[in-house]
Amino acid sequence: MSGTETYQFSCPECGQSLTVDDSMRFALVDNGCVVCGAPLRGTEFAACS
Amino acid sequence: MALDQQTEMTQSEIDDVLSRHETGVLSLARSDDPYAIPISYGYDSEHRRFYMRLVSTPESEKREFLSSSPDCRLVVYEETEPVYQSVVAIGTLEQISTDELTADHIEQYGKAKRPLFEIWAEGKEELDVQLFKLDPESMSGRRIEIES
Repeated sequence: MSGTETYQFSCPECGQSLTVDDSMRFALVDNGCVVCGAPLRGTEFAACS
Repeated sequence: MALDQQTEMTQSEIDDVLSRHETGVLSLARSDDPYAIPISYGYDSEHRRFYMRLVSTPESEKREFLSSSPDCRLVVYEETEPVYQSVVAIGTLEQISTDELTADHIEQYGKAKRPLFEIWAEGKEELDVQLFKLDPESMSGRRIEIES
């Protein structure tokens, strides 16, 4: 097990939800929602327990 | 106006044209019915792949044409007098499920323009944004210089 953190992402604009790892979370914050392109603040992620 | 010369573009020249543009015309077909739409794309010049978001509604014609993995042609062109350049990419559109997304996909889609929701009369909740990749089987480009 790599111990990579996972997060639940929910786009405030289009409602898309995704389970993402750290690299995907950083890419989303840098590039916006992958589905609708909405800019993200970095607060749209909740750590998965 | 006379055609001065027409030349085949090199792959590097094709990459330059595709990288500095972000919109093109995507043509699809089903039986004898043609379908062409303006789209925005992100271009991965390293792997020579296109990434695009296509927006459709439940009853839309576009959704019917995208229902399977359709063969397509993507045309990107520019005119900067006296030079006219066009690139044609031919291949099969591959839908990317959100379950298979990677950080690399997210970065590639970041290069594609946002879908213009505001031009749609329907509410966003009725819109379906599908992610597609085009890994062309062939690409060709032509440059025509027009003698003034």
